[in-house]
This record gives sequence, structure tokens and C-alpha cells, in this order.
Amino acid sequence: MKGFVQKKGTRRSKRGSSRSSSLEEDEEEEELTLKYGAKHVIMLFVPVTLCMVVVVATIKSVRFYTEKNGQLIYTPFTEDTPSIGQRLLNSVLNTLIMISVIVVMTIFLVVLYKYRCYKFIHGWLILSSLMLLFLFTYIYLGEVLKTYNVAMDYPTLFLVIWNFGAVGMICIHWKGPLVLQQAYLIMISALMALVFIKYLPEWSAWVILGAISVYDLVAVLCPKGPLRMLVETAQERNEPIFPALIYSSAMVWTVGMAKVDTPTKGALPKDGEQDEDSSDPSGDHSYSETYDSPRCTPLHVPSYAVEELEEEEERGVKLGLGDFIFYSVLVGKAAATASGDWNTTLACFVAILIGLCLTLLLLAVFKKALPALPISITFGLIFYFSTDNLVRPFMDTLASHQLYI
Amino acid sequence: MRTEEGLQAPEAPVALGASALRKEEGEAVGDDLYLLRLPYDSGVRLEIPTRLLFPAALPGPSSGPRMNLERVSNEEKLNLCRKYYLGGFALLPFLWLVNVLWFFREAFLAPAYEEQGQIKGYVWRSALGLVFWLVALTSWITVFQINRARWGALGDYLSFTIPLGIP
Repeated sequence: MKGFVQKKGTRRSKRGSSRSSSLEEDEEEEELTLKYGAKHVIMLFVPVTLCMVVVVATIKSVRFYTEKNGQLIYTPFTEDTPSIGQRLLNSVLNTLIMISVIVVMTIFLVVLYKYRCYKFIHGWLILSSLMLLFLFTYIYLGEVLKTYNVAMDYPTLFLVIWNFGAVGMICIHWKGPLVLQQAYLIMISALMALVFIKYLPEWSAWVILGAISVYDLVAVLCPKGPLRMLVETAQERNEPIFPALIYSSAMVWTVGMAKVDTPTKGALPKDGEQDEDSSDPSGDHSYSETYDSPRCTPLHVPSYAVEELEEEEERGVKLGLGDFIFYSVLVGKAAATASGDWNTTLACFVAILIGLCLTLLLLAVFKKALPALPISITFGLIFYFSTDNLVRPFMDTLASHQLYI
Repeated sequence: MRTEEGLQAPEAPVALGASALRKEEGEAVGDDLYLLRLPYDSGVRLEIPTRLLFPAALPGPSSGPRMNLERVSNEEKLNLCRKYYLGGFALLPFLWLVNVLWFFREAFLAPAYEEQGQIKGYVWRSALGLVFWLVALTSWITVFQINRARWGALGDYLSFTIPLGIP
């Protein structure tokens, strides 16, 4: 996350170009940040919760997403093996393949961005969102209708899907009401998470979750990490990166100030320069990121939470959609496979929210791009395994012996 | 931003926002400067850093900048409303619904401004189209659900999902 304070005429950047902005500004900024930090945490709770609720509800009711029906080509090794060691090995191999696919995709993206192949990226993202909005929705709708034993005819189906998809494309890639855009982003994250839950084999899913948090950490924080390079390149060029999938919780107003560069995959290449003239107060850039690029299955640019600082009151917090997806995968998997039923699901849910809080807190403290996955996923994994294996038997035993504590 | 010959930037509301300017109103000089052509000939050359002007025109996808209608110029609102209205003709009653809901306040509850009349017109027409679609869709669905079993082969052909059990 980057926070830049927009003050007239001064620019404060990570490179510390004008340290002349005094300590007072620093403190003021800190105060503002922390003051708004809590509000933003809540603002992100709602969409993350909604996404998880949708995923869990679907998992619990629609059997399709828990049936084993083949695997993706990214996880070629089967887990149907006789011995545990073999299974473990297979899942680790699956993870390696998956992560390398993701790394390759990310690096490819960074390279494309560095060489300014914007049209290619744009086209890729549009294709992905098309696939998500139409194909996956079609499948999802079909399965839900089958579950509830409802008859549906092709003309109505075509109309519904066409409307849903077209308005989604318009809202996400062009202009539309913010609430609708947020809703669509939540829905496509949920759809994506459901696909993962269905097609990733058991143990592989957990190992992949762990590995991707590590990757997220590395990619965002290491100087040579692809995501960091992406962010820095975008900063240098002072332009929006690409239609990244970013969920924004609020809009940012810049009154009489320079325009806010659209945020990218978390990093905000905030343009601090003022329009010195400021002869035009209608620099109305209530920016919200409608930069959402659908993420196709292979493309996983793990994202990180971002916070924007403005001189105005309103600020937005942004969280990448990859984070939504993986949080939902974790909770969905817990709902699907845990023997402890709701206990485990709720524990994972709480763990993720705690992780998100901590991440946002760190964001407020460090004010730079931070990966949103590691803390939450770590907590989630710990809670999942411990609840499933420790808490549930404990509760069961207590209940069977009629001991209430 | 530099002005040549020391002339002042004009007072006229040349809104320096992506909402008001279009690419045709200027030309790019160099990589990061944009030469703004003013609507009238005042001998002023305004060179403005591109990134300040056209976040949407920068390489990259066009952003949907203003979800908050309050910050959008009236002209832009009208444009948006019209586009949504026209888009709805592509079998998109949902788009009309969004149009009605989104611009309802603008059209009917906001204090009057110049373009409001047209926006009202579009909202009305979108609502009309929406009602038409709702009626049509409801009647078709009713007919289908009631008669699906009776239609036999045709019913099956039209069905996406066929419920199990005795109809």
C-alpha cells in the first residue's frame, strides 16, 4: 500500500524527494490514517464476508461443487493413491506446477507491461471477464437450478445470462454505478473460488493456499518481485497499470487537486503533483477503480491491499480480487470438507477477518504495498487444522458426556 | 503546465478534467505533455502534463472514472443516460433497470438543470421498455411453466433443466 498525502505543491514519494514536508505532516497523516483505518477495515469486511457467504451457501446446497469431477490440467497428479506418502508427494508436485504457472503468468504480465503492450493485456483481461461472466455463470445457474429442481427454458436462460453478462462487462470495464460494480466483482470472485474448490484436489488445495501466501509475500516485498516491479514501473510512468481486478470500497475525491491515478494491483501510483494553476476546481476525479480485469484461471496476480490518502475526507481502500478468491477458497474448502461442519467454517471465517484487520493495520503503519494473503491465510490454515483436529473432537466428547463449559 | 508568452489561462471553464476534454481538443507533444487547444482563439498554448488530464486516454484501459454522479458534469450524465438507454435495445432490460435506478434521483429529485429534461425523457422511456419486457417475460415464463409437460417433445427441447419427478 502506498499512502501519499496530497498537499498542494508538494510531493511526497517513497523516494523521499521532498522531505521538506515536515514532521507535522507526518503526524497528521498518521492520525488521519489510523482514524480512517478502522472505517476502512469495516468497509472491506462487508464484501469479503459477502463473498464468503455466497461461496459457503453454494457449497452447502449445490452438490455439484463438492463432487470430484476431474482435475484441471494445472494439477495433473491425482490424489487417488494408495499410500499417504505418495499422496503428499503428488500434492506437493501439483502445487509446484500451479505456482510456477502463476509465477510465469505474472512475469509475463510484468514483461508485457514493461514493453507497453497494453492492447494485449486489455484484450486478455476482457476475454477472461467474458469467460467468467458468461461461461461460469451458465454452469453455476445450471447447477443451482438442478439442485432446486426448477424447470428453465432456453430463451429465458439466454436472456438472463446475456443481461447478467453484458451489464457486468459494462459495469466492470466501462462506467456504471459503484454498488453494481462492487456486486459484480464479488460475484465473479465467488464464481472463481467455486471453480477452484471444485477442481483442486484435497491436499493440493491446502498446500497451494500455503504456497501462494508465501509467493504473495515474496512477490510484493522483495525488490525483484514481479509485483513490486509492476508497481514501480507504473509509478515511474505515473499511469494506471492495467485493468486489474481491484475492489474498491469507496470513492476518492480530489477537490481542486491533482488527479488520482487509478490504482493498480494494489499499488497506488499516486500522482502527487498539483495542477499549480488550480484554476479549475472541477478536477473531478472521484476515482474509483473500474479497473477490473477478469482474472483467468491461470492468471493469478496475487494482490495486496492498498490504502489511499487524500486531503479530502473520503478515502477508499482497495483490495485485489485475488485476495477475495483465496479467502473464499479457504472458507469454502473448510465448509466442504471439514468434519466439524459449521464450527470449522466459522473459525476459518473469523481467522480470515482477523488476518485482514491485521493486514490493514500494518498497511496503516507501513504505508506501502503489502500482500494481503499471508497473514489471513496463515491464520485460516492454523484455525482450520486445529479446529478440525482438536476442537471438534473435544466438543463432541463434551457433548456426548453432557458436560457444558 | 506552461503557458506561452506569459498569457494567463482564460477564465472560461475549460474544465481540466477527463470529463470535459476529449482527445480531439488537443494534441500530444512529446511523451508526457499535451497541448490543449482552446475552443476559441486566444493565442494561448496550454501545455499540460498528460497524466493530469487524461487518465483515461493514457495507454491502458479506459477507466470508468466517475461512479459518483455528483462529481460528473451534467453533459456527461446525459451522455451516460443516453448510452444506457440505447444499450438497452440490445435485448438488455437489465440495463434499462440500472438506468432507471441510477438516474432516478438525477431526473426527478434533483434541482432543475439544463439537461435534466432530456435525462427525464430517457428515464421514462427506459422505464417503459422495462415494463414491456417484464410483462413479456412474465407471460412467457408462466405459459412455459404451466404447459411444459403438456407440450411433450417441444417442451423438452426448450428446456434447459428438466425437473425430476412427476410433473
